[in-house]
Amino acid sequence: MTSLNIPVIETKRLSLRGPAAEDYPNFKATFASYRSRFMGGPLNPYEAWMLYAAEMGHWDIRGFGMWMIHDKDTDETYGMAGGWQPAGWPEREIAWIIWPDKAGKGFALEATNAVRKHYYANGWDTAVSYLDPKNLDSIRLAERLGAKKDADAPSIDGSDAVYRHPSPAQLDDTQLAHGIEMEIGHYADPKFTPKGWALD
Amino acid sequence: MITLTNTPVLTTKRLTLRVPEPQDAPAFIQFYSTDRSQFTGGPMTARQAWNFFATELGHWVINGFGMFTVTRHDDDTALGIVGHWYPNTWPEKEIGWVLFDPAHEGQGIAFEAAQACITHAYETLNWDTIVSYIAPQNTASIALATRLGAHLDTDATPVPGAKPCNVYRHAGPKTASLIEKNPPRRADQPHAGGLQ
Repeated sequence: MTSLNIPVIETKRLSLRGPAAEDYPNFKATFASYRSRFMGGPLNPYEAWMLYAAEMGHWDIRGFGMWMIHDKDTDETYGMAGGWQPAGWPEREIAWIIWPDKAGKGFALEATNAVRKHYYANGWDTAVSYLDPKNLDSIRLAERLGAKKDADAPSIDGSDAVYRHPSPAQLDDTQLAHGIEMEIGHYADPKFTPKGWALD
Repeated sequence: MITLTNTPVLTTKRLTLRVPEPQDAPAFIQFYSTDRSQFTGGPMTARQAWNFFATELGHWVINGFGMFTVTRHDDDTALGIVGHWYPNTWPEKEIGWVLFDPAHEGQGIAFEAAQACITHAYETLNWDTIVSYIAPQNTASIALATRLGAHLDTDATPVPGAKPCNVYRHAGPKTASLIEKNPPRRADQPHAGGLQ
């Protein structure tokens, strides 16, 4: 069987694996919804399938890409997170999308923190996230990950904000890194109920 | 290195058909920047074409088959892509062909590659039938489909979408092997349009 040898990342609650054919319906549902408005959607079924296949091809072309986020116990999918740099992207991006009904449980934070660690352990020395200025949930997540707006960095097309992630050194046993782990730990606690809006 | 594994290589008299690789992207993107791509979803921007190239690779992961990059035996330059295509919104599985550069037309390259893909579809993938979706104005591809033994199938469902397309149904598994043993004589005059 044809496959891509994409590594698996495990966190406390999640298993991140390469996108597979059987995960497509969840991807399609999200990209057909308003949830995808900051990721180039909503898409029709043909466009969604073409993008899903491109998520896989991205790994082959770039050597990195987006993982499918699974629940470690139930295997249910929650969204995608990983590295992203199609044509026209000035730098390597850390990107994420969480299915609309799975938001607010800290999955994006836990997955994105893990993929950033993975890429930093595999030679990346910096990363950005290109965010729509109206995408407040994602901006908030970028900030929780320690990313800061980088006004000097080139954007994709001038309409997106560039958030620069902390460097590997800034995440090496620092207060910032501990704070992120602590927040992830709270979400992983079944008794923890986050206050306010459902954030990624 | 992250790369597609367990993919076939098809070999014909003059050609090697292998899975597309990252180094083929520039030729693919260049082709899709030109009007030559008008019958295969183009023209499109470089960004769109890059995504489309990534889709070509992901198609292999999802379906276990896909489009091959066509090269000569002794030269890895991508001449075009020919192979099996089946996005999940399409009615049937297709054999498609694209030659990037008009300079490579008129040499039977697309014919030779498509023929190998038809054999592969019947003998290895165990398909029962194969179509090619071709725009009515794409005379060069209609000529190639006809030379491959396909005929217009007016009962078949075309690809849904804004642009009109006709369905050419290829000869079935038994007939196809006969055509391959006794290929019809090829018209030698160059085609008016691109083989797309």
